[in-house]
Amino acid sequence: MNLPKFFRISAINLGAAGVGLGLGLVIVLATGSDIGLALSTLLLAPVSDLYNIGEVLVWFTALLVISEGIGLGIRAGIWNVGAEGQFLIGSIFNLMTWKYLSPYLPTPLLPPVMILGGIAGGAFWALVPAVIRSRFGGNEIVVTLLLNLVAVSVMWWALDGPIRGRFSAGYPLSDVLPQDLRMPILIEGTRLSASLILAIAAAAVFYILMERTYFGLKVRAVGLNPEAARTSGISVEWTLFKAMIISGAAAGLAGALHIMGVLYRMDAGYAETGFGYISIAVAMLGGAHPLGVALSSLFFGYIMIGAQNMQRMIQIPFPLVYAVIGCILISLTVVQRTLRRVS
Amino acid sequence: MGVESLITLEFLITSLAITVRIAPTILFASLGEVIAEKSGVVNLGTEGVMLITAFTAFYISFQTGQPFMGLLTAMAVGVVMGLVHTLLTVYLGLNQVVVGLGIWIFGFGLPDILYRILFRDVSSPVVSVIPETPIPLLSNIPVLGPILFRHNILVYAALACIPLTWFLINHTKLGLRIVAAGENPKAAHSAGVNVLRTRMVAVVLGSLLASLSGAYFTVAFLRSYITNITFGRGFIAVAMVYFGNWSPVRLLLPLLLYNFVDSIQTILQTADIGVRYYVLNMLPFLTIIALMPVFARRARPPTALMKPFR
Repeated sequence: MNLPKFFRISAINLGAAGVGLGLGLVIVLATGSDIGLALSTLLLAPVSDLYNIGEVLVWFTALLVISEGIGLGIRAGIWNVGAEGQFLIGSIFNLMTWKYLSPYLPTPLLPPVMILGGIAGGAFWALVPAVIRSRFGGNEIVVTLLLNLVAVSVMWWALDGPIRGRFSAGYPLSDVLPQDLRMPILIEGTRLSASLILAIAAAAVFYILMERTYFGLKVRAVGLNPEAARTSGISVEWTLFKAMIISGAAAGLAGALHIMGVLYRMDAGYAETGFGYISIAVAMLGGAHPLGVALSSLFFGYIMIGAQNMQRMIQIPFPLVYAVIGCILISLTVVQRTLRRVS
Repeated sequence: MGVESLITLEFLITSLAITVRIAPTILFASLGEVIAEKSGVVNLGTEGVMLITAFTAFYISFQTGQPFMGLLTAMAVGVVMGLVHTLLTVYLGLNQVVVGLGIWIFGFGLPDILYRILFRDVSSPVVSVIPETPIPLLSNIPVLGPILFRHNILVYAALACIPLTWFLINHTKLGLRIVAAGENPKAAHSAGVNVLRTRMVAVVLGSLLASLSGAYFTVAFLRSYITNITFGRGFIAVAMVYFGNWSPVRLLLPLLLYNFVDSIQTILQTADIGVRYYVLNMLPFLTIIALMPVFARRARPPTALMKPFR
């Protein structure tokens, strides 16, 4: 891809994100908060110390992997808005793999198998929408959204059965991963672990897959014009099916990385990360391109930690980020459209 | 207590009565979505409209003590949100999926911010709900009376909206224009129909109906506000449009089926039959996901659905 075009698109999208953030600040202003303090907290707190920088990268890790998958879906013309559920199921499979295979496998083999478990879980949760979209021509948006809600119930079930901790005493808690199954911490005093490296590797795989392989070409062809793709001999249904499964697998991988690299356990609050929903906006802002998605993941990670600090330090409610994300999504399409008109 | 002791006539009547009572939470929105989609516009922002109007209705009824004031304000907000959606998707021709998701996520965040700020000093606020209006004579019929005729006025209104929507689409000039705009906007344009304005009317009308579903949660049903109060019912309303093959009449069956499973699982949760709540919670969703291939096979969307006209 040529660099001038890349920078132009980045500038445009950053502008749109700025508009969305501006609208968010209007909301802050309307709630009667100190706008200067809010802005400085949002922008400075995430880089104020090592711990916060680590947190930005923890968010970056999760958003990067999930939104690479969503981005691949978008390129194929699929809206996978079910990443939230795929992330949850991937995490559950990850813990189940540990619990049921640990007696049979030597410890060094266990982490890769657990990661595969997460990937399988995410792919499994994408199976139904993949079949409905590719086989029956049904609407994948509604199905994936509904499966997110089902996944939350599945999580409660899993925490009460298959992955319930031995010492949970009736609380919805899983066991904690032992030290030798956790990803090593990269920076002392933060939660940032080697899962970051694996996430970047996964993003690189997505880049190669999308930009350098025949499969990537097929995905893009199907997304641009399914009829033309069909005429040139591409199996549209099969490509859509694979794209949806890969998209789910990525979210499942993110779940495995979040368990093994950050939390080491699952509890009732696990369903409230919002990673899967936020990643839709991440993928959009990144233009569904593997490189753009990486930049936009970093941007969103930064904003999220800024917003968390805003809630903790100056009591601006965290749900504000959702309102802002909504504004960013819409201003993004408005800006892109306006520029297309002009040029 | 065993399951068999629950299967009585009384249980059936109660669950069917609840089925009808919770129908408006989806029915209004679903009929509104039919109208919008018939004109060629998918409104995935329905969930967002419902979340915001549920809060609006709650806040206004809390302030005024009048649930109907809350309802009216919610309707006004619904119209405004419909106009915003129209501006973006119809007049600017933006991607309807992205705009819809944007409005949803926006609506997911905004009410929570407002709730935390506006009710900062109130502990667990509740509002009075719209009272039940049993229909004289009819409500005394055994079995059918409690199921159909002992509800609040919005339930009757929602049911009445089915034939009204059908009539609007199939037997009025506006309906003809809406269908034309959704099937073949170019031909409609040549025939002198203002496609953009027709779509605007359809989307705004749809959003207005969605606001009734949203307001129903707080001023006719739950009495209090909670985070994500609609719990995906806005999306189920959109799904019902597919199941009903874009007919306001045919969506009633899958809709009632969904609500029936939901009301049974709600009752079973309180009955303590040894099945955990998270298993029961899944049942309504699994029912409609399982039905999706059956219905989607026959579904034929309006030809110009999701295609902007310019």
